[in-house]
Amino acid sequence: MNALKQTQKRIMTWLLIVDAIIIGVSFIAIKEPRPFVLGLVFGSAISGLNFMELSNTLSRAVQMQSDKAQSFTVIKYFIRYIVTAVVLYVSIVAPYINVLGTILGLVIIKIIILIGNFLGDKRFFRNILRRKEDESSGQ
Amino acid sequence: METLITGKALVLAASAIGAGLAMIAGIGPGIGQGFAAGKGAEAVGRQPESQGDIVRTMLLGAAVAETTGIYGLVIALILLFANPLVGML
Repeated sequence: MNALKQTQKRIMTWLLIVDAIIIGVSFIAIKEPRPFVLGLVFGSAISGLNFMELSNTLSRAVQMQSDKAQSFTVIKYFIRYIVTAVVLYVSIVAPYINVLGTILGLVIIKIIILIGNFLGDKRFFRNILRRKEDESSGQ
Repeated sequence: METLITGKALVLAASAIGAGLAMIAGIGPGIGQGFAAGKGAEAVGRQPESQGDIVRTMLLGAAVAETTGIYGLVIALILLFANPLVGML
């Protein structure tokens, strides 16, 4: 479980760093940055909480029976989905929150995971290019 | 007496249908995550010592998959509550 906690901590740290960078850039690039920054903070906060909740869900699910784990994870997924829907609805309706900032905040965690764990690893690209026939058949 | 369908009504109706279709995208990640969790539970049952690695890998995959559902949700909510097509009429 230590590896899981470390991964959580690393991704949350990167989320804060990337948020800070985007907020810094938005202060330079956008004329009225306040709604965008609010949206970004709102979206990434909910995204981070969703990530922690996903981690708790999966940690609990793997200790259950297979069919129970399946239904438990699906139910938890739809709860998180509704939370995301409420967040997006609020950011669309409220004029002081920029919806693009919220969407970016919600999606940013995917970019962090992709860059940090898949695209940052050379083996990932090597495995894409490697043909199945080249692998040893184990004989 | 004949009733005419206005352009705005047509756009709104089509947007509502589009929003409904976009919401289908939210079902896939849920089913996928559930399936992965079920298989993960089986894997932990087989190799309890590698539970940390299994959950960690599953967490990264599930977090990436979950974002796909959010795209559909964004499209649906924008079509319903901030429709840009109505303003084009």
